[in-house]
Amino acid sequence: MLEAFTGRWRMGNTAFSLPPTGLPERYRGVPVLGEEFFSGEAAETCAQACPTGAVDPAAKTLDLGRCVFCGLCEEACEGKGIRFTPDPHLPFGTRGDLLLGRAAVAPAVAGKKLRSLLGRSLHLREVSAGGCNGCDLEAQAAGNPNFDFQRFGIDFVASPRHADGLLVTGPVSKNMKEGLLRTYEAVAEPRIVIAAGACAASGGIFRGSHAVEDGIGGVLPVDLYIPGCPPHPLSILYGIAAFFRRYPDRIAGGVSRR
Amino acid sequence: MGCLHLFDLAVSPTLPEDAFREFLQGGVAGGDRLLAFFAEEPSPGSFLLHAVIGGSSPGRYAHGSARVSGQAFRTFTDVCPAAHWFEREIYDLFGIVPEGHPELNPLRFHEGWPKRFFPSRSPAAPEAEPRKGYRFLQVRGEGIHEVSVGPVHAGVIEPGHFRFSCAGETIQNLEIRLGYQHKGTEALLAGKPGARQLILSESISGDTAVGHSNACARLLESVLGRPADPSAETWRSVALELERIANHIGDLAGLSADIGYLFGSAHFAHLRGKALGLLLELTGNRYGRGLNRIGGIGPRVAGSGSAGILDRLRSLRDDAERTGTILLESPSVVVRMEGTGRLALPTAGTLGIVGVAGRASGRDIDARRDFPSPCFAEFPPTVVVQKEGDVLARARVRFEEMLASFRWLSLVLPTAGPAAGPAPAAAPHRRTLAVSVEEGWRGEIVHAAVLDGKGGIATYKVVDPSFHNWPGLSFAVRENVISDFPLCNKSFNLSYSGADL
Repeated sequence: MLEAFTGRWRMGNTAFSLPPTGLPERYRGVPVLGEEFFSGEAAETCAQACPTGAVDPAAKTLDLGRCVFCGLCEEACEGKGIRFTPDPHLPFGTRGDLLLGRAAVAPAVAGKKLRSLLGRSLHLREVSAGGCNGCDLEAQAAGNPNFDFQRFGIDFVASPRHADGLLVTGPVSKNMKEGLLRTYEAVAEPRIVIAAGACAASGGIFRGSHAVEDGIGGVLPVDLYIPGCPPHPLSILYGIAAFFRRYPDRIAGGVSRR
Repeated sequence: MGCLHLFDLAVSPTLPEDAFREFLQGGVAGGDRLLAFFAEEPSPGSFLLHAVIGGSSPGRYAHGSARVSGQAFRTFTDVCPAAHWFEREIYDLFGIVPEGHPELNPLRFHEGWPKRFFPSRSPAAPEAEPRKGYRFLQVRGEGIHEVSVGPVHAGVIEPGHFRFSCAGETIQNLEIRLGYQHKGTEALLAGKPGARQLILSESISGDTAVGHSNACARLLESVLGRPADPSAETWRSVALELERIANHIGDLAGLSADIGYLFGSAHFAHLRGKALGLLLELTGNRYGRGLNRIGGIGPRVAGSGSAGILDRLRSLRDDAERTGTILLESPSVVVRMEGTGRLALPTAGTLGIVGVAGRASGRDIDARRDFPSPCFAEFPPTVVVQKEGDVLARARVRFEEMLASFRWLSLVLPTAGPAAGPAPAAAPHRRTLAVSVEEGWRGEIVHAAVLDGKGGIATYKVVDPSFHNWPGLSFAVRENVISDFPLCNKSFNLSYSGADL
């Protein structure tokens, strides 16, 4: 018992500071499009390497709703067209906001009414609809002592009846479609739907399979898309908090109070 | 290479059904386990069954195949119970019927699908009989009632349906109905081999990205004749052990949470993050995605021990050992776990339970030793076996395996150097069955592929350890109170996505 107490004391408060610092250089976060992506052959090279068709070489865009952050494009174009940076603040918003191109997109944020209703207390029911468990693990980790999204009043609840909305992962397998719809119907209005990960946005690496719906957009009205494969817990935290304009300029680590 | 084996199908005989039955029966009696069992349709309407067994002695593999005459075969589950779910899967994908199967319920397709939808069956084959609907086992008797749970569970986990038949609080029978996560993964893995399959293999079960992609990479490399060099193989095994450490720590957090031991749950959740951080440091992703490329490892992978990683590993080890010791020596924890969810060795052996759950019930099997990849052939693993088969034994196996992985890494990491490119090798030019085995953190992962001899993959079969182990959970919870189910379930911690594919 005494050991548990001293262990608890030694652990302290492990919540990370925000915005985060010190992610390893190798981490594949926000992709940056180089000049050769727009003027040279790089977009074509990247499109050929991409396993999910995320690169449109004609329109010169990278669709983060399809991107699985595998890095094959970066290797094929030697970083001249697409280069991944260790920044976890991935673009979020509507499906269209995930399309990276020459023009910067200002992400959609929640309206004033939604912000006043849910901005300071958001209870979500998580539904894995054909996911691989990757996004689910990261959603769960967003609530652990390190990322601690309870700092923003965000939490997961067991029943959809207790929830303000759903966080859905996976491409929506045909076998899970009804379960997802019924869970959605059980959430009282006003409610929001957050689609986390490439599968949820587009089917991701499973796009085109006979057994999936190629994303949640065709099944439910989605308010917020968060890209990634899977999205880092910091990307989930950022996407939700920034959608409600609650992402801090700075919050010290080891502090759970806001 | 012990972890990879090729069978030339041009010389491997096709057995009559009776001889195939003897092959399976004899193999199981001789201590082999069923590694993979699947069907293919080499020409429209003509079906072949393939079984791969092995493991009774180091590096032993055996393959048998049988031609199905007509639209049905006599079930093999009676002589090899581990074939139970495989036969249901064959029925679902091809519409060929294992006659006499004890529980021929659909595994992959629910009510919404057309009754004649058999995705692996060619349209040119004669039309199959419509698929029968799902029927739950009815337990009858005074006071028996049913409790239905899922597909959507209370926690942040994957979907699956559990149907309990209880007498009072005591579970008489648990029927597990899965399929909710079915994504047609195996169909997507067939075709022209390339990087797409390798990326997809990382999403077979998102918590086992390294295990599955290691198995897939070696298989694709054998098809393309581009085996990875030994230093790349070392990094694969290093990442595999980091994945094992992270997941075992995560499971100890989950077990702590399910018994209301918040000290353990908070500590281990924090430490799991640190372990994933080490994978991130080496591979650029918390789950090791991007580690593998065909012929080696990705250019973003460290390729040499990054500065101070051994120190961080040692510090994580000390924290995890201290926390785990407090957990497993705490009388209230031990009492709660001891005797709960017991899976006896004979049952585990009959069902073919693998991995952590198998070793906790006394099965001395570990693919790292039985089918070693190059690095494990050089640095043998420690195989942790417990006898009791209860929740406590499964927790102890995780704890001890985690410590063993730390020791193994402290030996191997200093020897790991930069990876060179692949050394060209001959690629098979005839119909070949390639089998690739890896011991993921949950247990034995098998990838098998029938190569068409023209550079393509005709059929791809994935066996996640969960596929073997789900039926084991049903047996483990019998005669337990229903309120212990979450704890028992967590102690197995099986993948839904890996089983549903």
